[in-house]
Amino acid sequence: MMNYGYSEKGQEGSLSDFHLWRKILQFSAPYWLSLFFAVIISILITWATLTLPHLVQTAIDHYITATTVATDARIAGLTRTAIHYGVLIFAIFFASFCQVLVLEWVGQSVMHTVRQRLFHHLLHLDLPFFNSNPTGRLVTRLTNDIQNMNEMFTSVIVTLFNDLLQLTGILVLLFWMNPRLAGVMTIFIPLAIIITIFFARLAREQFRAIRIQLAKINSFLAENLSGMSIIQLFGRQESNRQTFEHLSEGFLQRTLSQIKLFGTFMPLTEFMSSAAIALILWYGGGEVLQKRLTLGELVAFISYMRLFFQPLRELAQKYSVVQSAMASAERIFQLLDTKSEIVELEQPVQLPKIQGSLLFKNIHFGYQADNPILHDVSLALYPGQTVALVGTTGSGKTTLVNLLLRFYDPQAGTIRIDDTDIACLELRKLRTIVGVILQDVFILQDTLFANIVMDTGCSREKTEAILNQTGMNRFVDKLPAGLDTIIGEGGLELSTGEKQLLSFARVLCRNPAILVLDEATAAIDTESENILEQAIADSFKGRTSLVIAHRLSTIRRADHIVVMAHGKIVEQGSHEELLQRNGHYALLVAMDLQNDQSSHAAHGNEVVDS
Amino acid sequence: MPFSQLRELLLPTFRQHRLRLAAGFAALILVDLLQLTIPRFIKHGVDGLTAMTITPVGLLHLAGLILLFAGMVVVLRFAWRYLIIGFSRLLERTIRNRIFAHIVKMDAPFFEKYTTGDLMAHSSNDLGAVQMACGMGMVAAVDALVMSLAAIGFMIAIHPMLTLLALLPMPILAVTTRILSGKLHKRFATVQEQFSSMTEFSRSTLISIGLIKAYTMEDFQTDRFGKLGRKYVRSNLRVAAIQGLISPLATLIGSLGLLMVLYFGGRLVINNTITLGDFVAFITYLYMLIWPMMAIGWVANLVQRGLTSLGRIHDLVTSRTTLPDPVLPVPPAMLKHPGYELKNMSFRYSSSTAPAVDNLTLSFGPGIHGVTGRTGSGKSTLCKILARLYPVADGQLFFGGTDVNQLPLQFIRAHIGYVGQEPVLFSDTIAANIALGRADASREEVIQAAVNAAIHEDIVGLKDGYDTMTGERGVKLSGGQRQRLALARALLCDRPVLIIDDGLSAVDVATEHEVFAGLKRHFAGKTVLIVSNRIKLLSMTDRIIILADGAVQSEGSHEQLLQENSLYQSMYAKQMTQDALKEPESP
Repeated sequence: MMNYGYSEKGQEGSLSDFHLWRKILQFSAPYWLSLFFAVIISILITWATLTLPHLVQTAIDHYITATTVATDARIAGLTRTAIHYGVLIFAIFFASFCQVLVLEWVGQSVMHTVRQRLFHHLLHLDLPFFNSNPTGRLVTRLTNDIQNMNEMFTSVIVTLFNDLLQLTGILVLLFWMNPRLAGVMTIFIPLAIIITIFFARLAREQFRAIRIQLAKINSFLAENLSGMSIIQLFGRQESNRQTFEHLSEGFLQRTLSQIKLFGTFMPLTEFMSSAAIALILWYGGGEVLQKRLTLGELVAFISYMRLFFQPLRELAQKYSVVQSAMASAERIFQLLDTKSEIVELEQPVQLPKIQGSLLFKNIHFGYQADNPILHDVSLALYPGQTVALVGTTGSGKTTLVNLLLRFYDPQAGTIRIDDTDIACLELRKLRTIVGVILQDVFILQDTLFANIVMDTGCSREKTEAILNQTGMNRFVDKLPAGLDTIIGEGGLELSTGEKQLLSFARVLCRNPAILVLDEATAAIDTESENILEQAIADSFKGRTSLVIAHRLSTIRRADHIVVMAHGKIVEQGSHEELLQRNGHYALLVAMDLQNDQSSHAAHGNEVVDS
Repeated sequence: MPFSQLRELLLPTFRQHRLRLAAGFAALILVDLLQLTIPRFIKHGVDGLTAMTITPVGLLHLAGLILLFAGMVVVLRFAWRYLIIGFSRLLERTIRNRIFAHIVKMDAPFFEKYTTGDLMAHSSNDLGAVQMACGMGMVAAVDALVMSLAAIGFMIAIHPMLTLLALLPMPILAVTTRILSGKLHKRFATVQEQFSSMTEFSRSTLISIGLIKAYTMEDFQTDRFGKLGRKYVRSNLRVAAIQGLISPLATLIGSLGLLMVLYFGGRLVINNTITLGDFVAFITYLYMLIWPMMAIGWVANLVQRGLTSLGRIHDLVTSRTTLPDPVLPVPPAMLKHPGYELKNMSFRYSSSTAPAVDNLTLSFGPGIHGVTGRTGSGKSTLCKILARLYPVADGQLFFGGTDVNQLPLQFIRAHIGYVGQEPVLFSDTIAANIALGRADASREEVIQAAVNAAIHEDIVGLKDGYDTMTGERGVKLSGGQRQRLALARALLCDRPVLIIDDGLSAVDVATEHEVFAGLKRHFAGKTVLIVSNRIKLLSMTDRIIILADGAVQSEGSHEQLLQENSLYQSMYAKQMTQDALKEPESP
């Protein structure tokens, strides 16, 4: 599972070509009619293309050289043939155009389906998967690899099919016209095939060598660009320039040897084509002299031979495309087969009416099995209770929330909502019951309204009502276009406080039974702070709430305070109880008070955190 | 941009390889001429067969000649490919090296203007366009010219009027190819744009996967991705519509010419104006013309794109650094104990309206100086200016008593050891990364520096020790390890000035304190500037400077500031309580 992308050089071989093609065909099945249409067009084009030289031959044999026939009849026949010819070339033109469009449409549509399927699949994989698979690699699967596969449809299938059809067609025609001459010409087929395959193999090697060298140059360049100040400060400009030139020289040498390879192969196919013509002229000419072949046939043979070598050359060039497309297809289908470790029950438990009691029972957990983060944590919240989690960074508060959302499963212990193990719930359902307000927020490049409502279908009136109720309308009214203000990249940048407010509004629209708030550690401007405080006060009412609190005001609002350190609960109780105990909590409060007294500035927190 | 300015990038290489180019083009033209001769042999053969005057020996003779010519064509084709396309690669390498050599000389403002992405694009796409124009572009242009002129010449020799008729459709091909490939380029650019917005969308979604799941946005995002995907499909179809026209169109126009020859040429044969051999040769020549006609349109676009790219590269390599780098007749001797003097120094980033450093007056020489202040107070900017990454006006910054603008850059930098906020490691061994500033350092010296920076134990614990590869493909080091490695790098250089810009922020306070306590002896006699927000570290320095809004707010010893400065007091109070709660550093 860890190896996606590291085997870019080719197929891993764990999925056979046959298997891959079957999968590709499964995805293409809905388009069988269009594909069938494309095949028909392909046959038509081949037939028409091969008829053209035949028409020229007919014109020569029956009209142009038919000295025994009357001139008028000869010219009339010639005109008829010319009209045929004209109709055919326009037909080829339109058919080719249609074929390209149809295949592109099918290819892109199939790729769109694969891409959507893959995207959907990825979004439903669990977080451990994302921890072990870098985003960049997954993005490559979604974009470049699918693009690669598309190549297969548009260019490869077209050329493979058209070229193979054309080759066969020509061979049949040649044998039909003159089996003896055609038999002689067949010696070029194995020759051409051997040279083609040989070339395709070499070319693939060289393409790879060039790609690798280019990647080296690019990564060296990227690394140097991002570390340029260090390079300059440590006086490495000259030696890095030399290294770069060395890489650059390596690239030059590789491209030059590629040029040599192409310089040999390209003229060689041309040479075979000329040699074929020489052979036809000599052997075929002899046949003409012995009246076993007409002149028109000889000319047609020469034309067909030209058509014969062109697809061979294209097949050689397409070989590497097929290889890389198959490698991409394999990586995509493997990814599609990846399973989540966090699985939903086949028949999840339905919770009709949620009371909102929440229980963490003897939880043990670590992101890596050998590095435990939480040790035997137990915590119970009765419906409607507000509990504040307090503790320094790394004490395990956020991890607890991650487990509640079932991003990870605990190694031991259970989490229950209304006495139901969350592992028995549908994931989607669980995450609607538990509404979270995180420090970070995913912003869509859209209006504030769209960002609040998202896919809940919440009406504008209802949204406004919720905002008014919690006093958040003050935040909205401040924005230039109210709810219709475009936010996110290219729009209005929100401050930390505003982001948290947006997050709040978003969650309230979904009206969750249990509310989890990860309070912003970073400083928030006073205005947002005031609005937030009211929103917190209003939305905690009647909801079970779990708050990772950093502000004394929030902590004091809680019914119960839980202090965590080193992944354990070290103290719990009410504010007064804990203060009296003069332990961890008392110290934390003292620290916060210090902060409030001496640092009126918003940056106070930042100084401590660094 | 006029071509006369761009020429400067190309001319030297063209001149240097003029013989190679001359030989290449000679081979190219010869190939064309030989190829044009082959149809003449076919014509002889067909004419002989029509008149039944040719003997089998004569046919064998002709076939032999065709083979001979074809053989010569193989050799010559190889020659021009190697010489001309090879030249374009040589040119590519020369320009690529020139770009790099220029980039390493540029200052920090340059890298604000050109992002890494821009520069990568210049060195791949733009360079590629220039290489194509100077390689295949030149070949196609010459080839098309020679082939079309010669083929037309031969055709005219056979029958001028028929030539005219046969060529009638050809200009249409040249014009439409030109128009279509221009359009194709534009539509393709749209596809690329949508491709990158799809990439960006999936990247931003996957990177925030936790948020997406927390808000059950999976299906919502999939739908939005689908919209982008459908747009992408449509743009691809628009590209295909043009691609689907270009090649069939060439075939169509070529066949139209052939139709003319068939009809009118056929009549001429019937009227005995030309021979059947002429007729067949005519068809062959016509085939030869299809490619040059397509090439004309294609080459025009290639050249246009190449010129645009060349313009961009030219802009890049002629951009100037804002840092003066005077060449002194006598290189100044290295200073033993240099100090800095800042006189009302101001600096503003080009992207910002407010100055980052505002009328800063400060001087410091040998000794340990701590710098602290809130985010945006100008600490890092100060470090970068001192390291000569950003320019200052004359008379504002003096190094060892001389205005920095009067001193060579490398001279000043050679005095400075620098540890930045973001440690930069290169794809190389750990030892090489430490020895970045002193490639000649022995292994013992490298190890000593690593010991001093408290990273030796970590390095020894790696699989290949000091020979372990780091960077993109190498071993992943933690932030704290990377920072200590960067510190070792600066310590190894053992330079008279050491600037540490919050260099151990990812290391826990205790370790940081230990490292610096161990370095006290090493720092003796040096000018050391340490930017930090940690009281424990600051308390070790000889003097603490507090910056606010780009100017000195307060300065003094730890004890002094603890009594006088409210910001310092609050920092102290917070950090002391936090220490009391401090847990062991999580790995």
